[in-house]
Amino acid sequence: MEYKAQKIEEHFVKEEPFYLEQKNELAVALAAYKNGIPLLLKGPTGSGKTRFMQFLAWKLNRPLITVSCHDDLSTSDLVGRYLIRGGETFWVDGPMTLAVRHGAICYLDEVVEARKDTTVVIHPLADDRRELAIEKRGELLSAPPEFMLAVSYNPGYQSVLKDMKQSTRQRFVALELGYPNADLERKIVGHEAGIEEELARLLVRIAEMTRGLKDSGLQEGASTRLLVHAGLLIREGVSPREACRVTITQALTDDRELLEAIDEMVSSVL
Amino acid sequence: MESGLQERLQEIIPPQELNVWERDELLEQLAEYEPALEKLVLAQIEIIWPVSHSLCFAFLEYLADGLSCLSPEQIPEWVKGVLDAYEADGLRAARTYMDDVENNFLCRLRGESGLVFDEAQGRLVHYLRGLSQRNLQLESSQALFTDTSTIFLPREMTLFQENRSNFFAYKLLLTFQWAFLERDIYCQNGTDPYELEHFFLLFDRPELAQEVYHLLQTVRICRFLQEQLPGLMRDGHALFQLLRRKNAGGEKDKRAATALFEARQWLLAKCSLDEYDLENSELEGILISLLDENISNKQVFEATTHFYNAFCGDAVSMETGRPLLFQGELRTVEARQRRLNRREENKQKFITALAAVLPPQASSVEDKIREDEEKGPAANIIESGANVSPMKSSADKEPGDKQHNPEDPRYICLDDEHIELPEELRELADEIRNDLGELPSFYIASASQMAGGQGESPQASPESREGQSLQGGITYDEWDYRRQGFRKNWCRLIEKKVTPTKGTFVSTTMDKYRGQIIQLKRQFEMMRTHHRFVRRQRDGDDIDLDALTEAYADVKAGFTPSERLFIRLLRDERDIAALFMVDMSSSTEGWVGTALKESLVLLSESLHSLGDRYAIYGFSGMRRTRSEIYHVKGFEEPYTEEIKDRIAAISPIDYTRMGPPIRHFTKVLRDVEARVRLLIILTDGKPEDYDDYKGQYAIEDTRHALIEAKNAGIHPFCISIDREAQDYMGHMFGEVNYAFINDVKKLPLRVPEIYQSLTT
Ligand SMILES: Nc1ncnc2c1ncn2[C@@H]1O[C@H](COP(=O)(O)OP(=O)(O)OP(=O)(O)O)[C@@H](O)[C@H]1O
Ligand SMILES: [Mg+2]
Repeated sequence: MEYKAQKIEEHFVKEEPFYLEQKNELAVALAAYKNGIPLLLKGPTGSGKTRFMQFLAWKLNRPLITVSCHDDLSTSDLVGRYLIRGGETFWVDGPMTLAVRHGAICYLDEVVEARKDTTVVIHPLADDRRELAIEKRGELLSAPPEFMLAVSYNPGYQSVLKDMKQSTRQRFVALELGYPNADLERKIVGHEAGIEEELARLLVRIAEMTRGLKDSGLQEGASTRLLVHAGLLIREGVSPREACRVTITQALTDDRELLEAIDEMVSSVL
Repeated sequence: MESGLQERLQEIIPPQELNVWERDELLEQLAEYEPALEKLVLAQIEIIWPVSHSLCFAFLEYLADGLSCLSPEQIPEWVKGVLDAYEADGLRAARTYMDDVENNFLCRLRGESGLVFDEAQGRLVHYLRGLSQRNLQLESSQALFTDTSTIFLPREMTLFQENRSNFFAYKLLLTFQWAFLERDIYCQNGTDPYELEHFFLLFDRPELAQEVYHLLQTVRICRFLQEQLPGLMRDGHALFQLLRRKNAGGEKDKRAATALFEARQWLLAKCSLDEYDLENSELEGILISLLDENISNKQVFEATTHFYNAFCGDAVSMETGRPLLFQGELRTVEARQRRLNRREENKQKFITALAAVLPPQASSVEDKIREDEEKGPAANIIESGANVSPMKSSADKEPGDKQHNPEDPRYICLDDEHIELPEELRELADEIRNDLGELPSFYIASASQMAGGQGESPQASPESREGQSLQGGITYDEWDYRRQGFRKNWCRLIEKKVTPTKGTFVSTTMDKYRGQIIQLKRQFEMMRTHHRFVRRQRDGDDIDLDALTEAYADVKAGFTPSERLFIRLLRDERDIAALFMVDMSSSTEGWVGTALKESLVLLSESLHSLGDRYAIYGFSGMRRTRSEIYHVKGFEEPYTEEIKDRIAAISPIDYTRMGPPIRHFTKVLRDVEARVRLLIILTDGKPEDYDDYKGQYAIEDTRHALIEAKNAGIHPFCISIDREAQDYMGHMFGEVNYAFINDVKKLPLRVPEIYQSLTT
């Protein structure tokens, strides 16, 4: 099997991503970048964290290397490993090393999903040392000023097994990306799904209602992403209520009563 | 008039209960019926009279109409329904019941009963919460109205044959009541609670003005809903058309009645997108002006006056036709009373919550206040903190501390210092400002005094002097936030056994939740058999190809290869020990207590199939000398019949001093070998003991005990059952460390669910 090393050029964001600022996140992120402080994005799912990183990378004109974390992620997966070809060994950089070498932005998505023994490698990288140790090669990489580390997580999950350690979180500038306000969200949904603003406004109204159900047992309300999905289906000709049922209602819960209540919200609005 | 009838009536109604002319009138009415029917009616009077005399007269009044669609044999059954309605909701309800024989009685006989509130409630509550984004309550009542905190819907909906349509009607009614609140037709955004009532008093016939106002507001609301909830209004076409047809027979001769009637028909037509020609152009002008998006309450007042002067000035008839079904009743008095109650509640809430976050200060204010304190709680001292001003008047502060605008509602001014209001208090502060126009300075003063720490001082209690020796049991320290230190060996904790009760509680619960238990067990089993491959093990079920390749490469490159080359299938990675600490204070008496016990049953069943280790203890007690915990199930005890009987035996005892049991169980959990140790507290509200363990002192001690647990590597989590979320919860439990449940019925299922989400 041919192993293809990742090329850094592929990680540049070529076109300007569509991103509407919620508040001052761009200014904050740029300031953090300038001072070599890593970034922590907090927020519910689908609230634009990934999109913001793409936007930031484009603004800075740096490559963006994203790693989705999961509990099987090993240090080698991040840093790199030796491989063999034709009886010869050769070293392949992991995404983290790649980013450090080229002064890219390394974005660890859902960082709490990774095991704690994996995330320790980011510690020296996240404080003012800005170093990455590649043990196997006995190499100590110093990150250039262009390099940036960013991680994201969703504080909404209450699982005690996935809490971030203080020593980790205190190394970051934390930006909270909640749900955009109604006006902004309407514009986002309208643009992303390519639908009329009026329809987008109504979809946002539905989302707001579901977000009011936290005390009724709904873990999280409908995200911007779900609204975009609903909008896309409607544009394809699926009836609005049906589109919302399959993209929003069913995605949010399995609880009978809640399902029915959300259906009622949908049918009130659309 | 035959004397037989007279005698018979005499037997049923003793002479002293009815005067002569009333008796004559009654006899006259009865004489109109033919003998067989007369007998039947007398028999009914015999039943109704002892229940209520007025109901009996009302019955006779409606009977004539009733007989036009009821056969005589159906009368006794009908009377039963009348009595039911009377007993549930009084005379008015009984009248309403009798008024609509078709829907209230005949439908039911044909087996087409309508939808009862209880069946629709679950869905409607969620719908309302989503719609309103706040904690509006929903209840049933005879009438449709709102007191601005709760929306009351009729007990049943019998408008349609099909229950789907009846549900829709419920939803529509509910939505309109919500919209009335949302658009503030009760004028609660102004600062004068009597504004609306006074407005109506400007007219000769206030009740007529009120009716006009309500209808005109409804016009405005329809427009609002068409914009906000177009789907609902579209689905409503059939209903609007039906109402219009039903209305069509309405009275038309008097001017006021005609104008109101016309306006209603016009609105219904509008809502179902039909044409309706208004003959009167002045009326049309008024109505159309209300369709403007930005119309204010003041303009509706003007329109009401206009309407009244134009059409109701010379009104003589009291009959104005019925308001539209979905309007319900405009109960201005109830709304105003609720608002004033809420004002008082908010005041108390704000003061306590603010006191909890203000730094305790040893200022001179404190001593000054101390004497007053003995007389009453801090909250009642009005304007005594003269050095505290509301943020409103703080505009003239010197520009020294100008990082923020002093008008910024996020700040309050205390002792010439701007203090940022904590997140969780802002909403409350906004509500108060909305209501009163400002945040009264004495609210802040009272809070600062309370934070200063008098009044709630445990020292005040004579039997609890420091240093008194505590015998037996285990002693624990208690956190005193005012001195920011512990009171050493302050509380004595005693462990007791629960005496098992043989009974049917557990089996009844198992029956009641049979379906859900099966489902829970399945879910929990899935958590258990969560297979997971772990890579890079020293030995295992399979070779880890990645690791092997790497090792090979390492060898080639001249490194010592790793020996971790295997993949192992991990079956039981859960190494969790959970201790459930259950509130047995007297406030749990009743539903809450039952729900707590039910949740323990469901939990035990679920955990049994999952295999996590768990323990259950109750806690209660009275005074610092007798904090008690009740052993229900230890970690090593299996879930047996004996344990079930102990769960059944849990019952409310005394008070809620949370600190000592939390500290005790922290110690217990620390000695349990487990990767994750959970302390889950089930409670129904604030910590409080018989002595001065209450208010902020209790909140701070509980909070501190939880922090101690956290520092010991234990994960505390609180499940709190309360009518509404309390502001202190976030502070006491920590934002992500609690769940709040406001529906007792949900508790038994929610507890296992929460456990599940906590540990996956
Ligand atoms: N501010 C925004 N500007 C433009 N698009 C946005 C914005 N916020 C959200 N979106 C839209 O929402 C979608 C979901 O956002 P994104 O994938 O960035 O979410 P996320 O926060 O990374 O979610 P997750 O935590 O699930 O990974 C995007 O694809 C985009 O369409
Ligand atoms: Mg993402």
